Amino acid sequence: MILILSDRRDDAVEMVLPKLRSRGVPVTWWDPGDYPWRARLTAAFANGRHIVTLDTGDSRLDLSTVTAVWRRRPNPPTPAEHVTDPTHRAHVVWQAEFLLDGAWELTPARWLPCRREVERHAHNKIIHMARAVEHGFTVPETLYTNDPAELAPAYERAGGRMIAKQINSDEFTLDGADHRTYTTVVTRRHLTSRHRLRHEPVILQPYVAKAVELRVIVVGDRVFAAEIDTSASSTARDDWRHYDDDRVRHGPHELPREVADRCVRLTAALGLTYGAIDLILTPGGEYVFLEINPNGAWGFVELRAGLPVSDAIADWLAAAEPYHPEGAS
Amino acid sequence: MSGFGTAVESGVRLLRSLPRRRADVEEARGTAAAWAAAHPQLEPQLVVDVRPGTPVVDYDLLLTHPDGGTVALSAPDEDGVPWLIDHSTHWAAGQLVSVDDVHLSVAQALTMLRSLSRRDVTPYEEIVDQCLIIAEVQGDDAPLDDAELQTVADEFRRGRGLIGRAATLAWLADVGMSPSMFESYIVGIARRRRFRQRKESELASAYLAAHRADFDRVRALWVVSPEKCTAATPQELLALVPGLREAEVTIDVRRARDLPAELVDEAGTSAGTVVGPLPHGGAFFTGAVLEREPAGDDPETLTAAGRAAFDEWLAERRRRATIQWHWS
Repeated sequence: MILILSDRRDDAVEMVLPKLRSRGVPVTWWDPGDYPWRARLTAAFANGRHIVTLDTGDSRLDLSTVTAVWRRRPNPPTPAEHVTDPTHRAHVVWQAEFLLDGAWELTPARWLPCRREVERHAHNKIIHMARAVEHGFTVPETLYTNDPAELAPAYERAGGRMIAKQINSDEFTLDGADHRTYTTVVTRRHLTSRHRLRHEPVILQPYVAKAVELRVIVVGDRVFAAEIDTSASSTARDDWRHYDDDRVRHGPHELPREVADRCVRLTAALGLTYGAIDLILTPGGEYVFLEINPNGAWGFVELRAGLPVSDAIADWLAAAEPYHPEGAS
Repeated sequence: MSGFGTAVESGVRLLRSLPRRRADVEEARGTAAAWAAAHPQLEPQLVVDVRPGTPVVDYDLLLTHPDGGTVALSAPDEDGVPWLIDHSTHWAAGQLVSVDDVHLSVAQALTMLRSLSRRDVTPYEEIVDQCLIIAEVQGDDAPLDDAELQTVADEFRRGRGLIGRAATLAWLADVGMSPSMFESYIVGIARRRRFRQRKESELASAYLAAHRADFDRVRALWVVSPEKCTAATPQELLALVPGLREAEVTIDVRRARDLPAELVDEAGTSAGTVVGPLPHGGAFFTGAVLEREPAGDDPETLTAAGRAAFDEWLAERRRRATIQWHWS
């Protein structure tokens, strides 16, 4: 049995599900957001053994029969609507998360990309950048800092071509409207409000000239690289997440063997079986590592660059490989 | 402190007091003008830095130094707003509209505006419709043949009067597209066109079966005039026409669904029955069906039914879609 943990509206699951069905493997798609109100989880210990049973409301699943788990975009446990006291709601979430984490730990399956705790560490930019350097990746000269005194010197070292990024993606409002911090090209204007850095750590990097940006998807030991050429788009040039589909070209990219191998090794070293790695290919032909997202988007890599990621995910989930108790290496 | 030093200190206080929102810039200019009037020897000028994609603005104050030269003052205060939040942009900056998961950039919308062609819907509705079709073809990676692409490219160029390679390249430079971007753009149009054709073909038969009378070929006569025309037969109606001071007279063969609303409402009317006079946009409508030929299953009728079915499908998708115009 393959267990998919994700929101019911997850398009990525919809892309993989038919591939799994065509491989003839049984699949349960369940959202932990249904727990504890709509679904039931029981861990029973007796006679020197234990059984963990998940009743999704549609079916009952002995978690020992699960061979692979795809942890995609699960919602956190959600109390029933009529649990209204905020402290009671927090209590329910806390208790439910604790048991869920334990149940997943006891599920003798392969995980894509990994369990929750592993993802939390792997997603941390300062951790994965250190690992990337250890694995031989070139990274931009980077500062993670909330020290206002670091700003102007970094700007000068970058020759006045510097970008700032968030430590972690986040949502907030300004005057009531949803705002975002995309990759920000730092200007002299930004230096004048250096005192604001005291309120939050940020990432400062020299602007890396790019021939193309690359999104590299690693599934197990398979690698799919898509070029994102934003050079014709003033909207998306500094951050392709500004989406400007007519002017941004996507296409497959052939990575040098050693770069592809390095991507696989880095992903595994972080305890992941899947990773979405962002690289820049410079005009000089150098591959520069920016970051890895343990659960990063791959749909556009398949749809726009024509790379068969959903097949690779289905293959990985369906493969009958032995369980590796040390994790997902 | 020198007089200049005191003035600088005062200028800093001024800058720290100015409201940092786009909507308040005029108020800030007024405050700065009053300050400038009190310090004429410094020739103060307020510079407003309006950032794109955010209501936040910045100010600088330019002063003339007593010994010559310019002093530029910036004085952001400590208001507790973190650095990246102060420099953030609206989440949809550069986007015009989001329709479900399709986000249309301003640049895409401008290109799209040049190709809008339908007169029966507003540009807003047509843009939304295009987004809905874009969503449908996102998973379409089936190859397109060269002939399909050539047809679309030729139609696109003809529609814009782009005769010859030089004119096309000049247009691409104008809209900021490289030739390879243009190729991708044409592929996008071709995929949307192919989707539309497939969908029309898929829906046509069932739609025709359910709405056959709408596709009858109807020969009809109608008169629109500021004067009321009352007649018992089409012949009487025609006989009235020479006596009218002003009138628009039409005799035409159309699908029943394309007749004026007054006659469509009377679709069941047998040939020869006169409808009206009825109020019609400040005038009066009188008309009659002259002949009705029932719709068959011929290719032309099926094509018309497919188009109507597609429009209905699209209207239903539009009703169900989550549409967010970001700047209205």
